Amino acid sequence: MNENEHSQRIQIRLLALREDYLKRLPEELAEMRRLATQLLQEDKPAGTLGILQHRLHKLAGSGGTFGLPELSGYARRLEQQIHLWLDKLPPSQVELTAFIGEIGTLAELNMHTGYPGADQPPPSRPLAQQDMIHLWLVEDDRLLARQLVDQLTSFGYRVTHFCQLAEADQASAHDSPDILLLDVMLEPEGINTTEQMTLLPRLMALSCPLIFISARDDFPSRVRAAQLGAEGYVLKPIEVPRLVNRISRIMENRASPPERVLLVEDDQLLADHYRLVLEYAGMAVEVLQQPEQIAETVFSFRPELILMDLYMPDYSGPDLAGVLRQYDNWAGLPIVYLSAETDLGRQIQALRSGADDFLTKPISDAQLVAAVRVRVNRARELMAQINQDSLTGLLKHATIKEAVDIALTRALRDGHPVTLAMLDIDHFKRINDNHGHATGDMVISAVAMLLRQRLRRTDIIGRYGGEEFLVVLPRCDAASAHHLMDEIRKDFAQVRFSKGDTGFTCTLSLGLACTAAFPVDTGAELLARADRALYQAKNTGRNQTRTATQ
Amino acid sequence: MKVLQRVLYVEDEPDIQAIAQLALEMVGGFAVKICSSGAEAMEQAAGFAPDMILLDVMMPEMDGPTTFRALREQPELAEIPVAFMTAKVQPSEIAELKALGALDVIAKPFDPMTLADEVRAIWKHHHE
Repeated sequence: MNENEHSQRIQIRLLALREDYLKRLPEELAEMRRLATQLLQEDKPAGTLGILQHRLHKLAGSGGTFGLPELSGYARRLEQQIHLWLDKLPPSQVELTAFIGEIGTLAELNMHTGYPGADQPPPSRPLAQQDMIHLWLVEDDRLLARQLVDQLTSFGYRVTHFCQLAEADQASAHDSPDILLLDVMLEPEGINTTEQMTLLPRLMALSCPLIFISARDDFPSRVRAAQLGAEGYVLKPIEVPRLVNRISRIMENRASPPERVLLVEDDQLLADHYRLVLEYAGMAVEVLQQPEQIAETVFSFRPELILMDLYMPDYSGPDLAGVLRQYDNWAGLPIVYLSAETDLGRQIQALRSGADDFLTKPISDAQLVAAVRVRVNRARELMAQINQDSLTGLLKHATIKEAVDIALTRALRDGHPVTLAMLDIDHFKRINDNHGHATGDMVISAVAMLLRQRLRRTDIIGRYGGEEFLVVLPRCDAASAHHLMDEIRKDFAQVRFSKGDTGFTCTLSLGLACTAAFPVDTGAELLARADRALYQAKNTGRNQTRTATQ
Repeated sequence: MKVLQRVLYVEDEPDIQAIAQLALEMVGGFAVKICSSGAEAMEQAAGFAPDMILLDVMMPEMDGPTTFRALREQPELAEIPVAFMTAKVQPSEIAELKALGALDVIAKPFDPMTLADEVRAIWKHHHE
């Protein structure tokens, strides 16, 4: 190990220790605050003061070592104050009150350290139903704006409409959207928003995804939109489902969960280093301590990628890769070797045992993060293609049926009801015949997006057949499910699909079945009941929701 | 002069233990043993055969000075140089600690990057 690498390791280790210390510090400071407030109620505060003195003393002795000299100094001053009180004159109520304030100041000092992460903005908001996606629409055409607001609202978005760019700019002083939708050409002033945006620093500072709406496909505006980093350029007449598709894709990319990486590295310091680097990049990392535990760890942690040292004392990387490949479930799990081995022949030899790739040490932090991220994303895409329907991104028939069984088993265990909902698009054949298959596909993906947008994260949605969908609603009784799904049915009927100059709407029929009514049913039996309820809905006029009863 | 190699550090706080170990072992290149209490030090110090002992002053149960006296009673440790580590800075307190027979007093908080140098300087001064 050269000098540089050695000092780098020391720095990393220091950083990690400091991180641990800073993690524990708020709790300690809160406890001191609690003790301090207690002082006012005590007749003889000497005991509590003694405890506080001791704790302050420790803080004075440790803070500076962990890079907080200011905290050390302040704690020392307070400690000496207590020392004087205990030694000579007990404090007055006024002195005590002031002291409690000082302990509060001490706790706040900790907030203003140079600790990485302390000043960083909070993580981006997760995608959740309670937390509706907020869109700003800048559109001078009031009629179009009203249609867009109505339809986007039925897809579950919160929409704020502005007629002028200046209004949006003003609003950005105190609020911010998740996505900004802008009409390129605002009349009557003839403002081109792709030009004007750059003149409005507050709007630019929102740095949220931009989607432009335009009546004509005008190249200079497209270029300017691209320069502004726009993530969409939608032409009028607007097909709302297509727009929604674009919005939900943008939001999904933003909300993708942290990459899960398992590190297998016998050098503890190096493992800590990689862990820190990947964690700073926002990934979830676990280090395998005992090679014998690899199967258990993979099972419990469910990594998306394994980063493995090639040469380790007891078992080599290829040994462990070979073990993992014996399990069917993990045959596709990416394994990447990280090693100083530069001999190509030996690298290839190592890959034969079942690893996917080779990263050569030394590797820069940025390279490591990029290499891991690219591989995890690729693996995710692959998994999605295996399990998800290509048109809708929903689970496929086999996977959703499996999900039904899992949900039912779980419900049996924790005693909550589960409701299954079967949905079918009414007169779908007519849509295909009248408007073509491409339009039919658009309707199907609109249903998928509406479901995804409106249901909870824990609900499972699958494409069951051509125009048939299956939704599994855990912890949901028949009445709530009926209410929820029927609202979705009503809203879907409001969505207008455009095809050339003509527009059309379509409807859904639904059948529900709840475990509360049929507690002994298997998954397949309950599915059959939901299916029968759906056919009842179809046979009695469509565009309605029916629930299976005993 | 004998080169300082083995350092025993008696300290009750886990945070400080970890960073002192790093400062003495990785930065300083010493062989380091950490004891979490005076009692543990009494049991294990002789077996480790340290060249030098660092004692935290404020520890629960057996404080630094008590540990110091107890270690001095063990024949193998009677002559081993000792330095105290303390967050107390009053000159009178430092004088008291030195009067016990300690080589020197190292102020807390210490800088992990220079602690080893400080320890070496005390060692050198002792052997001059």
